[in-house]
Amino acid sequence: MEQLELLMGGFASALTPINLLWVLIGAVLGTAVGVLPGLGSAMAVALLLPVTFSLEPTAAFIMFAGIYFGGLFGDSTSGILLNTPGNSSAMASTFEGHRMAKSGQAAKALATCAIGAFIGGLIATTLVVFFAPTLVKMATVFGPAEYFALAVFAFLAISAVVSESVVRGIAALGIGLSLALVGIDGPSGTARFTLGMPQLFDGISVIVITVGLLALGEVFHIASRIHRDPVVTRVEAKGMARLNLADFKKALPAWLRGTAFGAPFGLIPAGGAEVPTFLAYGTEKQLAKRRNDPEFGTTGSIHGLAAPEAAANATAGTAMGALLALGLPTSATAAIMLAAFQQYGMQPGPLLFERSGDLVWTLLASLFIGLVILVMINMPFASVWAKLLSIPKHYLYAGITVFSMLGVYAVSSAVLDLWLLIAIGLLGFLMRRYNIPLAPVLIAVILGPMAETELRRALAVSEGDLGILVDSPITVTLYAVLAAALVLSAVQHLRHRATRKVA
Amino acid sequence: MSLTQNQPEAGSATEPHGKPKPRFWTGRSEFVVVAVLYTLAILLTIGTATMNVQGKSAPGPQFFPILVCIVLYLVATLLAIQILRSPKVPDNSIHPGHGQFSADMLHDLGHLGQQEDEAYNDARPRTPAKSWKTYSDWRTVGLMLAGVVSFVLLLEPLGWIISATMLFWIVAYALGSHRRFFDVGVGLLFSSIIQLAFGAGLGLSLPAGFIGGIL
Repeated sequence: MEQLELLMGGFASALTPINLLWVLIGAVLGTAVGVLPGLGSAMAVALLLPVTFSLEPTAAFIMFAGIYFGGLFGDSTSGILLNTPGNSSAMASTFEGHRMAKSGQAAKALATCAIGAFIGGLIATTLVVFFAPTLVKMATVFGPAEYFALAVFAFLAISAVVSESVVRGIAALGIGLSLALVGIDGPSGTARFTLGMPQLFDGISVIVITVGLLALGEVFHIASRIHRDPVVTRVEAKGMARLNLADFKKALPAWLRGTAFGAPFGLIPAGGAEVPTFLAYGTEKQLAKRRNDPEFGTTGSIHGLAAPEAAANATAGTAMGALLALGLPTSATAAIMLAAFQQYGMQPGPLLFERSGDLVWTLLASLFIGLVILVMINMPFASVWAKLLSIPKHYLYAGITVFSMLGVYAVSSAVLDLWLLIAIGLLGFLMRRYNIPLAPVLIAVILGPMAETELRRALAVSEGDLGILVDSPITVTLYAVLAAALVLSAVQHLRHRATRKVA
Repeated sequence: MSLTQNQPEAGSATEPHGKPKPRFWTGRSEFVVVAVLYTLAILLTIGTATMNVQGKSAPGPQFFPILVCIVLYLVATLLAIQILRSPKVPDNSIHPGHGQFSADMLHDLGHLGQQEDEAYNDARPRTPAKSWKTYSDWRTVGLMLAGVVSFVLLLEPLGWIISATMLFWIVAYALGSHRRFFDVGVGLLFSSIIQLAFGAGLGLSLPAGFIGGIL
């Protein structure tokens, strides 16, 4: 039980007053961006990355840990009260959650969410603590070909398997890969696509890309619709969120089932919590049918809310494990966290546990602390958080615009970065307008350089023989699973196209 | 980051009187994206062809860009064909996470039925939305763009506080705030707090502009 000892060491360094303050700040910010529709943890971390640069890495990561889980605590609030989920990860919990709110059980619904998110996150983070060393051991047998296969798997899983349109998903991937190509090529020292500008030798900063796509792009998108989209009506939540013992007992099995769905998905680059939350919701729906539960689909069933909520946070928890141990980001938020590590000169993966073990275990400990703080600030103050929804949108987005400019300028005090930011912001707007997914761009920007290096390394070893890419059982398995997933998704798309033609 | 708000009734793209005359561009404005993809691909091609390659590693620095170029040309062409074959109007469907997830797939995974679909439809406006000529509100986007561009131009000469206040004001105005004078105060307060917290507190270097020269 070496892990427990290390974790205790992590707790010891995370439980200082100043670090607790950082967790608290992170938790508050995370919940806030989760509650507000259209914002999320990914954007919050991207905006804060540059301005926290002067902090110690440990302090910054402790704060990011709070934001990371906080976004998933807050996102169901607006779903429950407004029927507009704060993020697509809260879509599945909105169905039953909003029904509960409409039938006067808003406080109960908010409590179910907060506790569900806590349980899901807690179990998943515990799993990470115990299995991270195993994952690390697995990763040490990975060679260039295996890493390349892993990157290809992540690229295609996120852009083609789960996305609405394969062509648009891959287009997003291509955009991301091209953005990542700018700069000096490491192995050869060749300047690529820099247009002769020395400012571009280091490449386009990941911060410029993420802030542009996630923050400024969102502001442009809101601007394009704000005078046209209808205003939604809100169900008022009174008092503090609470749950009596009977309801707790009722929800507990659903929370655990949800966690069981969510935890494995953190390791698969399927874009985050959406797939497992819908799976969890579907299962609860089938179970309710079998049980003849009259609440499901009418006044709102606590099961149908509890399971997806726990699933979402369980996914986030194990995603952190995949990120730390394998260096594999499985969602947009995880990709930004990976970028954060890179900003501080660290590369997540097997070596991280060796080189920055202290930081990793402090981070894991602060994930636990973050969960406790989050449930503490979410349960009693749920109705206060809901008040955030009445912040005038024009001030909110004006603040975000100014803050994006601040962050990007802070990276290197370069005006060129600001022009790039505007261009990428417009790109983000265009992509939102035509429903081209953003996550593939982020994953490609983060993993693109790794994929290229490993591919070239593998081919250099084999002297150009492509066979090396499918030479080991690990790579063959990865490609086979990927191919199966692509076929399944193609069948799915074709079947729905056929039924639509009939209808 | 991604949100799931329903796409509003896209009656937005119909003309005010009678039946709209379908023109070629109706529902095909996504060609803009095709243009962006082709531009990117062409820039990459030129950059790869004219690259001043250092060293003699094989595969060299041009290898991966060539792969990316092929992907871009292919995808741009496929997208163009898709848009030509099926223009996108009217678009009433839900796009989870702006296209990150296939709505059909989530529908199947969650065993969603009529109930859930109705729940979504309830969230939509009951009254028919007013019609606009374009889906996007270009006036607001234009104002926003003017705001950020002038911010970047004025940041170094005028300094952080003045230019950030101006940017805040323009964005708030574009997004529909009516309290013009009050907003100047809010913007000033916001940019000053940032200057204090991040400039003085965390040591970011924000341009002082001409005020810095006076003080």
